[in-house]
Amino acid sequence: MSSLLSTMYLATGAMAADQGALEATTNNAANVNTPGYSRELPILQETPPVVVGNLTFGTGVSLAKLESVRDPILQLSIQQETGQQGALNSFTSALSQAQSLFTAGASDIGSEISNLFSSISQLSTNPSSTALRQGVLTAASNLTSSFNNAASNLSAQRSNLDLRVVQSVQQVNTLTQQIAGLNGQITTLQNLGQEAGTFIDQRDVLINQLSGLIDVSEIKSDSGITLTTSNGTALVSGTRSFSLAAQPGASGVQHIFSQGNDITSTLSSGALGGFIEVRDQKIPGLLTSLDTLASGLSAGFNTANTTGFDLNGNTGGPLFTPVVGAGSAAKIGVAISDPALIAASSDGSAGSNGNLAKFSAIQNQTIISGATPTTYYSNIVFSVGNDVSNGTAELQSSQLVLQQLQDQRGSISGVSLDEEAANMTQYQQAYDAAAHIVTTVNQMLETVINMGTLP
Amino acid sequence: MSSIRVKPYPLPDLLAALADTQQQQNTSSLDLATGARINKPSDDPAGAAQMVINTAQSSQADTFLRGITSVTGLLQTADSTLNSVVTALQRAISLGTEGANGTLSDSDRADVASELTGIKQQLLSLANTSYQGEFIFSGTSTVQPFVADLTSPSGVTYNGNAGTNNVAVGQNYSLQINQAGSQLFTSASGNVFQSISDLINSLQANNNIGSAVSEVSDAYNHITSQRVFYGNALNQLQTQQNYLNSEKVDLATAADAISATDMAATSTAFTQSQLAIQADLAAMSRMSQSSLFDYLK
Repeated sequence: MSSLLSTMYLATGAMAADQGALEATTNNAANVNTPGYSRELPILQETPPVVVGNLTFGTGVSLAKLESVRDPILQLSIQQETGQQGALNSFTSALSQAQSLFTAGASDIGSEISNLFSSISQLSTNPSSTALRQGVLTAASNLTSSFNNAASNLSAQRSNLDLRVVQSVQQVNTLTQQIAGLNGQITTLQNLGQEAGTFIDQRDVLINQLSGLIDVSEIKSDSGITLTTSNGTALVSGTRSFSLAAQPGASGVQHIFSQGNDITSTLSSGALGGFIEVRDQKIPGLLTSLDTLASGLSAGFNTANTTGFDLNGNTGGPLFTPVVGAGSAAKIGVAISDPALIAASSDGSAGSNGNLAKFSAIQNQTIISGATPTTYYSNIVFSVGNDVSNGTAELQSSQLVLQQLQDQRGSISGVSLDEEAANMTQYQQAYDAAAHIVTTVNQMLETVINMGTLP
Repeated sequence: MSSIRVKPYPLPDLLAALADTQQQQNTSSLDLATGARINKPSDDPAGAAQMVINTAQSSQADTFLRGITSVTGLLQTADSTLNSVVTALQRAISLGTEGANGTLSDSDRADVASELTGIKQQLLSLANTSYQGEFIFSGTSTVQPFVADLTSPSGVTYNGNAGTNNVAVGQNYSLQINQAGSQLFTSASGNVFQSISDLINSLQANNNIGSAVSEVSDAYNHITSQRVFYGNALNQLQTQQNYLNSEKVDLATAADAISATDMAATSTAFTQSQLAIQADLAAMSRMSQSSLFDYLK
């Protein structure tokens, strides 16, 4: 049979367990707004019973551990989707800027091409008019400026993206260091048999941020977790982090190296993936298209101008500075400044407009990769618009998926104040009950003590 | 007992929904303000590409129309100039017929001849007519076409050339806009200046007046027949102008179909998004501000 003192001991143990459970509840309520916090569940356990004779007595309750409620698989899905979203976000925002250069307006390349042909058409009604000739030169120089502007804007956007890549690499390095540090703390605690929920929460938040920047695969092992990129480049292994380095590569932009290996082209997810795709593929593609258009137009107009005669009866020279290949759009300019040098005449006399028909004909000639200048330009508009529009649509659906996943995480790990209030009452009542028992046992003990004293 | 645990805080969802709806409202209001559904290429990539071509075509039609306007001025000037030439030649013919009358005295014929000299001066000035600073009967040359020249039998020299200019007034459609002065005034089938000179000489010599008059008649017939060129050209321009105007209407209709805002649908969408925003906000404000904690006293 057990003693009164052991009953007292049992009741105070219950009070301690309830108080511990109440602390978990309080901690949950306190962290109701903490991002990434997973609610903790107090795990109460019966203490081992004692057997006296043929009776088995329970010895009360103990607080075994505080367990964080989380779903690791869900966490992985969230990481992957965050990576997707990071890539799509940086892709669409970077390309939207480029798109603004191709938005129909007063001075986009398409309008300037039309204006040039229009000025030539006007000149044909009065080919010896200096004012109309000046009009052609002005339209030509507007066209070359719109090429130059578009090219320099795209190059500037490329440099900005380059800077963003370097910044993102620095962020990645900071995050991997922090994660490696947390890995160490978590392993230490777990080796001591202690709960590391808080640190795991923090690590999940950091891994999530990392996924938003670069592709991350997570491998769990006894010694903590290992993070790699999707092609296997190590980022974090246990307590070690492997920093990435940004160094100028062959193409004049920053490449990303991990332990001497260039991993730039393998990154497809996270903000870095998006930045790199726009920087290394989309913007160079647009620049190449503009170069093709600029060099095609300059070749067409130069040929036309050299087959006719200028106002002084001399054979015409190039109208545009001859440009070929990469950098054409950036370099193209008007080669002549004297309006008299436009070769409008086909017979050498000043009033002839016969050669202007050759200029106007360029409008309908398939001189640029099998397309007319206007069609070719409209294809550029389509391709940039299509990229942005697809990116935006994918971004929206990715946002929906991510929201869904986070809702799911919230329903598993989120703190509900109602629930915590109910828990609080529950533990409070249990604590009250145990305290009552202590008081009662105390009275009983008094009774026992007073048994020996004479009245 | 176990029940499905719901996500305790719907506020982030509501905020995301609110941002979404506000984005829709912004798009609708931009569409309504600009009247265009395509405000950047990504709004409708295929439509934006079509619009590039549509805009180029419509700008080309505008250019042709502007060209027609300025060429019409030139052609009308030439036509009315030739009309004056015709009138002058008619007067010359009647003067010649009058001079051929045998009852006229020498001094009367001298008067007629001097009036004809005046007409010749007038014709010279008409043949040197210019439009917007350019001579219209000098071929493709820019020099003054006819210069008085006493050494020449006709009394003038043609300094222009025989060149002609064409102006594009439509897709693959160009129109000749001038005739060289040599073809009009000093042609073999009717030489205006030569015939007047001959008539003056005949009157002064009282010899072969009748054949000189018929020479002027030939010149008159030649100019009248050449004048048809300008009338035809003006007619063609008028037809082409009507065609281009209707083409512009077609292009504008197509542009509307590609890129114009459907006002009714967009206004409805705008109102709907407004209502949705209000509903979101109302839901957020009425969302339970309290928890079980408030009821535990």
